[in-house]
Amino acid sequence: MRVHDFTFYGIAFFLLGILLASLKVDFLIIVFAVVLTTAIFLFFALFRSYGVKPRKIYWLAGLSLFIIIGSLYYFWDDYRVQKINHIVFGRKINFEGIVIKNPERGNQQKLTVALRPPYSGNILAKLQPHPSFDYGDLINFEGIIKKPEPANYANYLAKDGVFGVADFPKTELLSQNQGPTIKSSLFKLKQKIILNFQKVLSAEKSAFLSGITLGERAEFSKEFKEAMSKSGTTHLVALSGYNITILVMAISYSLGYLFSRRLTFWLTVLIIIGFVLMTGAEASVIRAAIMGFIALLAKQIGRLYSFRNAIIVAAFLMVLINPRVLYFDIGFQLSFAALLGIIYLGPAIQKFFRMKGEEGFLGWRRNFLTTTSAQLGVAPLLIINFNQFSLTALLANILILEVIPPTMFLGFLLGAIGFLSVTLAAIFGWFTNLFLVYELTLINVFAKISLPIIGIGFWGLIIYYLIIIGFIIFSHKNAKL
Amino acid sequence: MLSFNRLILIIIFLIAFDVFVWGEILFNSPNKNTELYFFDVGQGDAELVVLPNKVKILIDGGPNNKVIRELDSVLRPTDRYIDLVVLSHPETDHFTGLIDVLKRYQVGAFISNGQKGQSQSFKDLKKIIQENEIKTIILAEGDKIRYQDNYFEILSPSQNLIFNNDLNEATLVMKLNAQDVKTLFTGDIGAPIENYLFQKYDLDIDILKVAHHGSKYSSSKKFLLNTSPKIAVIEVGKNSYGHPTKEVLNKLASVGAQIFRTDKDGTVKLLISNQEINIFRKKQ
Repeated sequence: MRVHDFTFYGIAFFLLGILLASLKVDFLIIVFAVVLTTAIFLFFALFRSYGVKPRKIYWLAGLSLFIIIGSLYYFWDDYRVQKINHIVFGRKINFEGIVIKNPERGNQQKLTVALRPPYSGNILAKLQPHPSFDYGDLINFEGIIKKPEPANYANYLAKDGVFGVADFPKTELLSQNQGPTIKSSLFKLKQKIILNFQKVLSAEKSAFLSGITLGERAEFSKEFKEAMSKSGTTHLVALSGYNITILVMAISYSLGYLFSRRLTFWLTVLIIIGFVLMTGAEASVIRAAIMGFIALLAKQIGRLYSFRNAIIVAAFLMVLINPRVLYFDIGFQLSFAALLGIIYLGPAIQKFFRMKGEEGFLGWRRNFLTTTSAQLGVAPLLIINFNQFSLTALLANILILEVIPPTMFLGFLLGAIGFLSVTLAAIFGWFTNLFLVYELTLINVFAKISLPIIGIGFWGLIIYYLIIIGFIIFSHKNAKL
Repeated sequence: MLSFNRLILIIIFLIAFDVFVWGEILFNSPNKNTELYFFDVGQGDAELVVLPNKVKILIDGGPNNKVIRELDSVLRPTDRYIDLVVLSHPETDHFTGLIDVLKRYQVGAFISNGQKGQSQSFKDLKKIIQENEIKTIILAEGDKIRYQDNYFEILSPSQNLIFNNDLNEATLVMKLNAQDVKTLFTGDIGAPIENYLFQKYDLDIDILKVAHHGSKYSSSKKFLLNTSPKIAVIEVGKNSYGHPTKEVLNKLASVGAQIFRTDKDGTVKLLISNQEINIFRKKQ
């Protein structure tokens, strides 16, 4: 077995271990299962059946021990995190904390707060929209911290290290700017850019533009959130993971329409970095950006199959930093599924339909292929997690994604010009407005004519992915003939 | 040398710009009539007066940022300027929405009675006024705002009321005269101020913004008889105070006023043309 195979299978088993532990499978059962599979592997190896080289099977048998290491790592990390938390639940208490994330604003203000001694750990505080707080504010709270409910919400928060929720506690601002200066000035810049959008665009449009350019999710009206969910376009603004991967591709294709290959690559990298910084360099966005970067690299180099290890090493490092992301972070799963879709499924579809490499106006053909393959990659995950995924979503996404890069470009231009003159920005605002009208109209139309799919279940998901993998292998073999 | 691709983009850009300019010329024609909007913003007040030539006066902003969506649906997308923003009195169900308005719109001037709000969020309002360097004007009884033949008379508060600490009673009460149609904006005043006002001023009006969301401590029978409104609009939403009260609804009906309420009718638009009032309701 060669080194890269060794790495691949080792990590794959490690991740499997993490997954089993996340599913709350008992450690003894995991050990038992691993011992059993190892035994089966060895059994086959001894009898040299099916003409497989026995050495490879010995290796696999040995590497399956990484399942145990993976699950142990998860349990250890869980213990470590629980130990550093000291939160008093269910009693009215006075506590101090610092806002450690950019506050989510909208109908409610949501602050992620790191508690200060005598307590420790992170909680989520839900507040009225005013008075408004900023990143780095030190606040005195008076209220009750509850354990998050139901369990899936608790897991969702736990993946970001949040273990308590306080609903509408009394607040008093003690001091400001307690966080790192660079981060808080980035947040301020982001806030100002959003404000520049708001100054020249209507509320719905500025909210959407803030979503696609800066990943800002607050400020959406209930009706619009519902429309996005029904039309299958929520990911455009809500799940930074998956959309960065697609956006990166879309941006590089439309830049490729204007510039040379090399310049396009570097410009796109620059845009990714800008995006990450602007959204406050939060872990989920960094993860997504790395995925997007791999996709871009794959496209640049063109040797797609050498990316197997790049992807799994990236996944390994992310899971090492936070083992919870593997199972509890939908964004993480979506970005992987989208990336695998683009890298493996995309070329397979291209070969199958004998599509030529032409790019078309602003690279629409490429965009179409990327979107389709990414969508097919994530479809079952979206169905399971959001229920309202629709058959028409594919069409909606292709039609909308085509104009997202120019909208983003105009958006950033608008954001920058807003600092010079609101009047001048208003003129650019009108152009941006054209695109936004198109996008919002499509979202609302597709929300009305959506054909919803009702849940497909776990086995449906497995069968779906087996079919996809079969298709990729089939198309790959066909091309070789 | 321009490549073909770039040339196409530039041409598209120029055509779009042309459409923009012509659109502004053709569709941005000034209005001749006065329009009044009573926005459906939940339990709180927000009214917009559009005088001829798109002169806009926003009175209060409601308890949340719903007023933004309401403004969006009334104003053209390129229209990001509000001439005057008036705060009747500094209570959260009247000013909270204004924080967002002042953030998002360019505003000619901010008008208030000069009182400071006691709630924490009033600081946010003050902050945004300072940051955006918005001109602030304090008005009181006897002042006037005039545009062409249309004018607002400020009927209250007097100096004494300002020094009293009752926020509701110190409301900036305004009477609008537009094409001989008279509208009274009462904010949250109670019966004592109402009595004082109809004794001092000629209050025979056509349209009444019913005081304090239809509270039973406002809209006294005497006041309604003296003002004799043809149309009464109650700005109200879900609340625990029992607003609008039965007493007030009955009294309004007994003086022959046609009653509209934003919780049932949605946003109410009154269009004044040729001294007639046309009524539009969002929900029917």
